[in-house]
Amino acid sequence: MRRALRLHRIFISQHMKRLMEYKLDFTMGALGLFISQVIQLLFLGIIFSQIPNLKGWSFNEILFIYGFSLIPKGIDHLLFDNLWMIGYQIVNKGEFDKYLTRPINSLFYVTVENFQVDAFGELIMGIVLVAYSVVQLLSHIVWYRIFVLLLIVPFAVLIFTSLKIITASIAFWTKQSGHVIHMVYMVNDFAKYPVTIYNNVVKVIITYILPFAFTAYYPAGYFLRGQDGLFSVVGTILISVTLFGISLFVWNKGVKSYESAGS
Amino acid sequence: MIQVENLRKEFKKAIKEPGIKGSVKSLFKPKTEIVTAVDDISFNVSKGEILGFIGPNGAGKSTVIKMLTGILTPTSGKCCINGKIPYENRKKYVKEIGVVFGQRTQLWWDLALRETYAVLKEIYEVPDKQYRERMEFLNEVLDLQSFITSPVRTLSLGQRMRADIAASMLHNPKVLFLDEPTIGLDVVVKDNIRKAIQKINAEEGTTVILTTHDLSDIELLCDRIVMIDKGNLVYDGQINNLKHKYGQMRELCFEMKNSDDLLSLDYKGHFTLDEDDLSIESDGVSATIRFNSDRASVQEVLKYTLAKIDVRDINVKDADIEEIIRRIYKEGV
Amino acid sequence: MMKSFFRTYMPFAKAGTQQMMAYKVNFIFHLIGEIMSCFIMFFIWKAVFTSTDGKTFMGFTMNDMIVYIFISFMTGYLSYSDGAFVLGEEIRDGSVSMRLIKPCSFDMCFLFQEIGNRVISYGIIFVPIVAGVEIYRYFLMGSVQFNVGNFIMFFISLQFAYLINFYFNIIYGFLAFYLKNLWGTTLIKDVIVNFLSGATIPLAFMPFALQTFLTYLPFSSLSYTPVMIYMGMYTWDKILFSMALQIFWIFAFWGISKLIWRSAIRRICVQGG
Repeated sequence: MRRALRLHRIFISQHMKRLMEYKLDFTMGALGLFISQVIQLLFLGIIFSQIPNLKGWSFNEILFIYGFSLIPKGIDHLLFDNLWMIGYQIVNKGEFDKYLTRPINSLFYVTVENFQVDAFGELIMGIVLVAYSVVQLLSHIVWYRIFVLLLIVPFAVLIFTSLKIITASIAFWTKQSGHVIHMVYMVNDFAKYPVTIYNNVVKVIITYILPFAFTAYYPAGYFLRGQDGLFSVVGTILISVTLFGISLFVWNKGVKSYESAGS
Repeated sequence: MIQVENLRKEFKKAIKEPGIKGSVKSLFKPKTEIVTAVDDISFNVSKGEILGFIGPNGAGKSTVIKMLTGILTPTSGKCCINGKIPYENRKKYVKEIGVVFGQRTQLWWDLALRETYAVLKEIYEVPDKQYRERMEFLNEVLDLQSFITSPVRTLSLGQRMRADIAASMLHNPKVLFLDEPTIGLDVVVKDNIRKAIQKINAEEGTTVILTTHDLSDIELLCDRIVMIDKGNLVYDGQINNLKHKYGQMRELCFEMKNSDDLLSLDYKGHFTLDEDDLSIESDGVSATIRFNSDRASVQEVLKYTLAKIDVRDINVKDADIEEIIRRIYKEGV
Repeated sequence: MMKSFFRTYMPFAKAGTQQMMAYKVNFIFHLIGEIMSCFIMFFIWKAVFTSTDGKTFMGFTMNDMIVYIFISFMTGYLSYSDGAFVLGEEIRDGSVSMRLIKPCSFDMCFLFQEIGNRVISYGIIFVPIVAGVEIYRYFLMGSVQFNVGNFIMFFISLQFAYLINFYFNIIYGFLAFYLKNLWGTTLIKDVIVNFLSGATIPLAFMPFALQTFLTYLPFSSLSYTPVMIYMGMYTWDKILFSMALQIFWIFAFWGISKLIWRSAIRRICVQGG
């Protein structure tokens, strides 16, 4: 574990050096993600200028759910973004060979190799929104729940990462799976809003099949209103750990059937 | 050091049917066929040896190398290197080997070269003292000093290859796999790389498995070769034996005064030679006759030629290794 | 003249179609991923309309909103142009200089290749979405809402939107001469263009002055104009005026892209590609 952290630190510092080479490009990425969130908020603002609440959720509560959803997503994006490349090209072009000739775990190596600072665009926005809405809702906040919420964040990240690992692993059999990752990843946008606005099909999908609702709405709902504490908190932890187990299994199976490229 | 027994690897390959109908069909019910890339190969390599591993494109060389380095899992059969089975104990195993794929770099593209070494040091857990000594040694052998602070993307191909070899030697591996380490390099650089490989092998006793299409690499570096074709082992032995076995072919080259003269020469009839024992190439001015010296002695052939026609220039050559291998690739053993 | 023009460029269209066929599975997954955002919007608007007292939201009915979401998604998808990305890649790896030795104009090669793969994307998304929207409207309103005149004008306007987008993206792609990685700037460009074109939020929801200003910018021609025509929100006068504006922007961007290409050639020659 200590070795893993040490390696991770070294990779990050290497990446930072690379970043200095392409400063402008990376700033643009972070800025782009930031602006896209601002425009989404503008959209919410327009809606709430006409209605007092959305199915019982106030503007500030919606802002909190939306903002909180960006935090696990942003952390996953920051640390484990290289998995996308597994799906798009690393396996297809046979570049995965490199990871297999090193004396460290291939999944670990792939994930730490890249450090995506673009993600700060999402992370900063998420933190600002959460902070703003908490200040607005100050009188309703039950303070000890903040610790529970902080505890949940790593598990919520794990849900994102595990789903990415599973979908990226498909590439070991099909050569490419970038578009499957994309498809699954897009479902997380549903979790930015209260699950109560969706019909049952969507509810079931984002709760039990691609459980993105546990990365945002359920923990946020518990924090804001104390609803379904057991289901939301323990559920997030159980689901993330289970998913992570499955993802490791699929990944290892995939590596075994990796076929490389060329003759 | 290395034991390979009945190694076999099969791949599934999707069959594409033509047309829109075919591609819709393949979407729902993909048809696959099984391709055997490596079929029942066995050989051994002893410690400190430099083994040349050759074969035409698509013969299955890379597949074997990838199984030996733990990248691919064999369908059946066994390989065991220094007492370890690559695909079973991958993380432990790869600490003992170094791998260079000539076509693909393992260096960090955007960073100064020395940064790559700093990261590899951590990955392989090389102690500080040993790291300094290694860098000194590698620097001496591969002359890295002049470009170690440049970003990798600015290196020339020759520098990059030297850097890649150094990267694979940093952790003092017992076995070094070199997959086409001289591809695309000019003669001088090739020469440097070969000398470096020789030096590493001599000073450290590193076992080297070398695949290449450049047979002068093989001639200069290896005593023994393993040749595979279409997934099968076709030759395993000393290069000298190969020369001995197939070396009876000779080449007679001459320049003619009159281009029609060639028509008056009938080697085939005169010496009663088979298809396999004779080939004739000519561009009208000069001609190259390859013949089997067991069937027709050099002396006789020369005598016959000079008696029949006028030549400006004439010489006789041994078939070189390249010629022998060309013959094997074309015709099999 | 016309014949030889098509003989030169048809192979590019064919190559585009085949490329698309080869990646059809990827394309379908991508499409499903993208269309997710429509459904999120759909549910948000449903919730909005159940949370409001009136039947309309800033002049739009629920029915209007649904049509807006799906038709503007489709318009965005079908007027999308990949030219910037391809051109950016070519500039980065230097293969753009290969364009100079081919006996055809660079924008036409791109254009025909894209037309080739658009044929497939029309087949996959145009028919299902239009049919879906119309069936939905039929059940909701109890009568056929489909208007052939509007539909034809919409279709033409959609093609104009594509051409504007195409030349706009070519111009944008030349940025790769200055930036190593276009990912971030492309994200910014897409977000801003989507916003200004009314694809994210209908322009009608914006303050009146801003709205008027935005309709004269080229971006509204990309999405808002065709969608409004489809929905029958525009009178014939307004339809003709907006389409004239679209044509104006096509020529403007075409001209600018030619100018930039000419100076880019000089740059390629100086840099050695």
